[in-house]
Amino acid sequence: MNNAQTIIDALCEQALHPALAVAKSCRDAGKDAVGCFPIYTPEELVYAAGFLPVGMWGGSTEIKLADRYLQGFCCSIMRSNIEYGMRGTYNRLRAVLLPTLCDTLKCICENWKVAVSQLPVIPVVYPQNRSLPAGEQYLKDEFSRVRLELEKLAGHPITDEVLEKAFALYEDWRSAMREFCEAASTHPKTINAKVRHLVIKAGWFLDKAVHLEKIRALTAALKELPEEPCAVRVVATGLMAEPVGVLNLMVENGMAIVADDLAQESRQFRTPARPEGDALSRMAWRVMDQRGCPFLYEVEKTRGQMLIDLVRQYKADAVVTMLMKFCDPDEFDYPIYKAELEEAKIPHLYLEVEQQMDSFGQAGTRIQSFAEMIG
Amino acid sequence: MYLGIDIGSSSSKAALLNEEGTIAGTQVVNLGTGTQGIQTALDELYERAGISPGQVLYTVVTGYGRLLYTEADKQITEITCHAKGIHYLMPDVRTVVDIGGQDSKVIRMDSGGTVQNFVMNEKCAAGTGRFLEVMARVLGCSIGDLSCLAAQATQDVAISSVCTVFAESEVISQLSQGQHPNDVARGALRAVAKRVAGLCGRVGVEDSVAMSGGVALNQTMVEVLSQELGRPVVPAPDSQAVGAIGAALLAREQYRKTR
Repeated sequence: MNNAQTIIDALCEQALHPALAVAKSCRDAGKDAVGCFPIYTPEELVYAAGFLPVGMWGGSTEIKLADRYLQGFCCSIMRSNIEYGMRGTYNRLRAVLLPTLCDTLKCICENWKVAVSQLPVIPVVYPQNRSLPAGEQYLKDEFSRVRLELEKLAGHPITDEVLEKAFALYEDWRSAMREFCEAASTHPKTINAKVRHLVIKAGWFLDKAVHLEKIRALTAALKELPEEPCAVRVVATGLMAEPVGVLNLMVENGMAIVADDLAQESRQFRTPARPEGDALSRMAWRVMDQRGCPFLYEVEKTRGQMLIDLVRQYKADAVVTMLMKFCDPDEFDYPIYKAELEEAKIPHLYLEVEQQMDSFGQAGTRIQSFAEMIG
Repeated sequence: MYLGIDIGSSSSKAALLNEEGTIAGTQVVNLGTGTQGIQTALDELYERAGISPGQVLYTVVTGYGRLLYTEADKQITEITCHAKGIHYLMPDVRTVVDIGGQDSKVIRMDSGGTVQNFVMNEKCAAGTGRFLEVMARVLGCSIGDLSCLAAQATQDVAISSVCTVFAESEVISQLSQGQHPNDVARGALRAVAKRVAGLCGRVGVEDSVAMSGGVALNQTMVEVLSQELGRPVVPAPDSQAVGAIGAALLAREQYRKTR
């Protein structure tokens, strides 16, 4: 328990203080940092170029400057990112990678060049039709272009050997994260909703090799502990499990996240790479093989069934939607999978969240009522 | 005796339940959380019931102000309490609408009064009692008189804005264009009813619909909500005290569980 708790405390601290965590990571690794916008960014290329990839998933901050570009009805993550960028918070970064996976991300790419002109932006464009051979080729070409941009930034080429090594590290990390989530699902008291989120989130601010080592040690420590009961087991879906105040409410009401379909969490590591091919092909295939994500076009819309399967696999009581306010792709998906969950008679809680949320009264009533209903 | 307390944003309610499960009294004071409202309600309730606070075996508190009231044995949300209270008062009802000062809720429950699903208003004060308060202020009447004004309307003036702030401007504009206050009042109630009907659609309405809370005293509101839902809406008896009655019933259950 002590070993697990020591690792948990350290990772939570790093997740709650990203600026300090990134500064330390850069210092320890002797690297500069490159920012990675949500949702799917080819981090392996950044790592292979010798930079520290840093997640840019916004934060809870007062919006003053960003209103010039993104008003109150826009995604709060992107509003925070623009705010931090304009305020100079990101000035330690050498550049930012920005995948244009939704309308807001497409707009922000141009806004960024004007609003945060001191920080170069490298856009990453994903193919709409992923399953076509042309889609695969397009994505590989796009990754090759990003590789060239990063080589220019680094001032040296990214050799195939270094890229293969970086990809292998990321595959190890993804595998370790899946194993951690398994172990966490049987220890919902030690790894409560808040801890689970912060342990995973810390990986966005640490060198992946460092995070991998800590996650492996934590998983091993968890496996030594007896399984823990929990009042209400839920599967979380949405962009991210923030603000943390909402997670505090879940913990207070005995609600644990035993599996997730969150863009910031499991969607980053749930799909393993195909075994064959070079690193660029395998990176492209990982995107092509990803299912159930509203940001990647999918005719079949498998998200609902995937959530139902997760509920059954992890013996969960319910699904909790953490819908980031004004996130169009997630909102478009919601009525589809809501109907499927109702058909499967799986209880479902809808929580609308935003990063600048500072009043949790209604969220508290919803979460407590839901826990009372399930419990 | 078992005590149920419901501290809302604009009123405080209390209910006493005896050992046999009969309501021994209810009290409503139109002062909400952060005021002396609940103490006044309790003093009056104890005096009317002829009991002292020491005779209360267990207390459950609910409502918007439940977390600040530290003298109860347990706090339970208003969703669970309203479902419990309605099931006690109207056992055949499966859907409850509660338009509160801060939140509007639609609750679906099973034949035992257990919550099956619920929805609450999103994003803002649209569809809540706060919307009606703002409209009443613009029309220069009390919230209680809004129903009387609306009852005399000859037509609805459509209020299209969902946002309470924009709707206030819209109502001022309608009045300045010569629309009759009665018609505007009915339009305001219609706007709330449409929002609440939307919530009902999300949770799924079953058979008869009951309305709890203070807004259920507004006859015209009940009428326009019935029209929007296309089915009768029945105000609960002692509608303002439904949450407190549910809390008292849960207090008795909790006490027996702990014995």
